[in-house]
Amino acid sequence: MDFELNTHADSLVQSVMRTPRSVDVEITSRCNLRCRYCYYFNNPSVIYQDLATEEWLTFFDELGYYNVMEVCLAGGEPFLRQDLPELLTGIVRNRMRFSILSNGSLIDEKIASFIAETGRCNYVQISVDGSCAEVHDAARGKGSFEGAVRGIRLLQEFEIPVAVRVTLHRFNVNDLENTARFLLQDLGLPEFSTNAAGYLGSCRQNAHQLLLTTRDREIAMEGLLELSKRYDGRILASAGPLAEARMWQQMVKAQQGGLPGFTNGGYLTGCGCHAQKLAVRADGVIIPCSMLAHMGLGRINAHSFLEVWQNSFMLNSLRNRYLIPLTDFKFCEGCEYIPYCTGNCPALAYSLTGQVNHPNPESCLRKYLKEGGKLKI
Amino acid sequence: MNKLNSPVRNPVAVLREEFDDWAVLFNPDTAQAVGINPVGVAVWKWIDGKRSIEDLVRLIEQQYEEVPESVQQEVCSFVKDLTEGGFVGYKVEMN
Repeated sequence: MDFELNTHADSLVQSVMRTPRSVDVEITSRCNLRCRYCYYFNNPSVIYQDLATEEWLTFFDELGYYNVMEVCLAGGEPFLRQDLPELLTGIVRNRMRFSILSNGSLIDEKIASFIAETGRCNYVQISVDGSCAEVHDAARGKGSFEGAVRGIRLLQEFEIPVAVRVTLHRFNVNDLENTARFLLQDLGLPEFSTNAAGYLGSCRQNAHQLLLTTRDREIAMEGLLELSKRYDGRILASAGPLAEARMWQQMVKAQQGGLPGFTNGGYLTGCGCHAQKLAVRADGVIIPCSMLAHMGLGRINAHSFLEVWQNSFMLNSLRNRYLIPLTDFKFCEGCEYIPYCTGNCPALAYSLTGQVNHPNPESCLRKYLKEGGKLKI
Repeated sequence: MNKLNSPVRNPVAVLREEFDDWAVLFNPDTAQAVGINPVGVAVWKWIDGKRSIEDLVRLIEQQYEEVPESVQQEVCSFVKDLTEGGFVGYKVEMN
């Protein structure tokens, strides 16, 4: 019997938890913008229909009962919901914290003040895609830059933690230096995160105009690595060019050095989210992740959330992707990086290949190099 | 005003028990989360505002085998950590 009673903040359980730690809720299917790369709209699997306040409040009671720690409200645009204060009160009442993903344009003093007073907001994430309206609005629509900046300044005024996400595409890839200076110096943000537009939702229709080319990715990777160094690591990424650059550098070094495979390498280990979180569509359908909206696992307030989390065959199959070796795929045949590769995001793999259990071809190092992409080691 | 000897749980704190009997204690007001082992989970559940540290030690000695001599110190340290993290407090008696 181990009698060590000390607490360990870093020893949180890594395997599948009894209940999810956080839940992503698409609280509305409406949005005041129509961004050209939006992953959410123009998805034939999604029913764009909102639930009534009461339905969400009942669901939040269930999440509270199962000791979920955080609800992340997304959409659509969450600030379009007139009942947002009531919904946030439902989250707070159930001993949870919350975060909100937004375009920032609908945030006013009244709602900012309300959020601040709850004391439970982890962050409000605002999308900013450039250093000026000309760049930002190119993919997000006229006036959206001004709205985003106004929203950020209001949140800062009320001392609400602001997270900013920069999504890279062809119209802003050459504005990285200005964007970093604008966000970190002019707006004084502690950090910001980056990703790239992916072949999902509306972006599928605009892919040829928006998605980064191999050369664009090279520019993005080099630029972000340099800027991240210059700004002392204040530029973050868990996906997209910066994350890929870091990962690929390690892979190339390991392969060239003849090092043993990475712990999570050689199998479809690309996403561990399904062990920690779930998502719910605006129409109440439970899904593994907002980007796997076609995988309906059940419906809130009709099916037990716990039952779905613990026993859904589809969800458990997704969790078991890590057992599938990359050597099973023709796409990976003969690849020297297999021992170091995770196969990356299942949602993008599905969108590009029609299969969830497939590596994501767009995050393939070998493919990138074959297409002439360069990587600074 | 006297601080009473019996710790009391912060009612807002959440105990998330996991499959392997470890748990996460979470304070939504501060966002602080700490992992605690199965004995810690038992102690957390026994903390009720009535039991003193000595009562908690006695319960451990009754419920577990091979309890080390340092158990009193360890329970004190555990409850102190929880107090500092805002998970536990003490009732006070007005003079």
